[in-house]
Amino acid sequence: MSVMTSTTSFAPELRQRRRPSGFAYIAPALLLIALFFIVPIASLLLRSVLEPTPGLSNYAELFGSWTYVRIFANTFLVSALVTLLSVIIGFPVAWLLAIIPNRWGSVLFAIILLSMWTNLLARTYAWMVLLQRTGVINKTLINLGLIDQPLVMVNNLTGVTIGMTYIMLPFIILPLRGVIKDIEPGILQAAALCGATKWQCLWGVLIPLALPGIASGALMVFVMSLGYFVTPALLGGTANMMVAEMIAQFVQSLVNWGMGGAAALVLLVVTLLLYAIQLRLFGVGRIGQEGQ
Amino acid sequence: MRKSFIMAAAAAAIAFTAPAFATEMVFTSWGGTTQDAQKAAWADKFTAETKINVLQDGPTDYGKIKAMVESGNVNWDVVDVEGDYAVQAGNKGMLEKLDFKVIDKSKLDPRFVTDYSVGSFYYSFIIGFNADAVGAEGPKTWADLFDTTKFPGKRTFYKWSAPGVIEAALLADGVTPDKLYPLDLDRAFKKLDTIKKDIIWWSGGAQSQQLLASAEAPYGMFWNGRLTALKATGVNVGESWEQNITAADALVVPKSAKNRDLAMKFIALATSAQGQADMATATGYAPVNTQSGQLMDAALRKTLPDQQGASQVNADMRYWAEHRDEIGERWYAWQAK
Repeated sequence: MSVMTSTTSFAPELRQRRRPSGFAYIAPALLLIALFFIVPIASLLLRSVLEPTPGLSNYAELFGSWTYVRIFANTFLVSALVTLLSVIIGFPVAWLLAIIPNRWGSVLFAIILLSMWTNLLARTYAWMVLLQRTGVINKTLINLGLIDQPLVMVNNLTGVTIGMTYIMLPFIILPLRGVIKDIEPGILQAAALCGATKWQCLWGVLIPLALPGIASGALMVFVMSLGYFVTPALLGGTANMMVAEMIAQFVQSLVNWGMGGAAALVLLVVTLLLYAIQLRLFGVGRIGQEGQ
Repeated sequence: MRKSFIMAAAAAAIAFTAPAFATEMVFTSWGGTTQDAQKAAWADKFTAETKINVLQDGPTDYGKIKAMVESGNVNWDVVDVEGDYAVQAGNKGMLEKLDFKVIDKSKLDPRFVTDYSVGSFYYSFIIGFNADAVGAEGPKTWADLFDTTKFPGKRTFYKWSAPGVIEAALLADGVTPDKLYPLDLDRAFKKLDTIKKDIIWWSGGAQSQQLLASAEAPYGMFWNGRLTALKATGVNVGESWEQNITAADALVVPKSAKNRDLAMKFIALATSAQGQADMATATGYAPVNTQSGQLMDAALRKTLPDQQGASQVNADMRYWAEHRDEIGERWYAWQAK
């Protein structure tokens, strides 16, 4: 539950930021971020224009090669797929969480949080065991006579999408739940009383009201997916490589930090752009908001 | 209050940087059963002899070595790296020259010795198959492994750009071992294209074992020691040593390592006849010390890569060191295609 309380208090604090006294309290956090995040990132990004020779040669190579462009395109494709699936699957769950009695709600909540707290590698390997050709799902389907040949669900786009959607779900369910909980139930009743069908209530009333929650959750999932590493590396094939894996290859195996920095900067710029669009559309108060 | 904080921080900083009397050093390798064996055969013995505690770290990461050397804060004293990286990094000034007054290189296999590195252990890429899944008649040659009509289904190969897979592709395509170098990359990738959709890549030894044991990929190209370990767990593994491709890992000391002198002593022990014999006994990899053989069990010795000389192909580490970047970029671009 601590996740909720901390995000709930986020928005009011931001509104107070004009008071100079508040700044002193966030100074240590800012200093920490500056020292251990901004400085190293800046130095890596600087290398992208300095190594091996000063100039934009790394960027020219990055955008001049079909391979790298394809990897970026694949990253967006996977992130978009994962975001779409997370919204479709997460929305009903968030809705349920918002309306069922508290006792059951906390059980469901615990299940979702527990999955979040389990080690990422363990969860990813579990999917590998489930999805592989000789895995549980394929064996069951073959034994039931539903398929003759095992389905190929791992080392490809399917594996990455399934594995990442599963991991991202809590990040959309939690903010959405807060937003839906805030919607006055009377509004839906009023709509029904005025003759709206169930579908009209859903599409005309509930979803528009929940839209800020959907948007902030979707943005969070999309941005996190863009930079994801472990799951695509383990569940995807080399033909579905994502940017984070490519950066790791540049940094660790090829020891080409210029290219690594260039790819990282492109990813960062895209992320910031998306964030800016989100701010423009829904304002700062709505980002990560749980409802008051 | 602020002052006392600064004082405390300064004291802590001094405590961390004090070089004086080291009681520990750091050994970094690739993890898994191989590093366990290195710890038992080398690190534990080193600690017993010198009272110096050897901390284990890993996995080896060339990016980290570069970061450490550039920042001047080098935490790794001895690192197990790939042979071609050792040659290249030595030339780029990333490594300490080894002290051959401490390390006796007269008994070491000269194929694996440079100014900056000595062999760590020496392994072969061999053909392995799951005999329960495909029967006793598995692929025998690299050509078999590339033949999807004779051997349909998935096969697994080493994922990273390193000596091995390109050589196997060329041998499968009929190139004779003496004509392998310089590598004909176009030809190799063309051959690899023919089986690309049937390849599952393994990125680490444990994964290769999992793929073979589960028959997710019933055949493939493996480090011989990993198959030895897999057989020991009861999996019915068949193997073929025909044209096995050898390469060696190397032990290196990153430039300005904190415990340079200890590192040299550690490497001396690791490459000693006994150190290499213990390592080979535990892993099924071959010793780089020519005197180790007589210290080992005769039956076990017969199974090691250095006894398979008849149909053995040596990967050329110097060629690889020179072309490492170029091959790497083509390799990853081809994989991602």
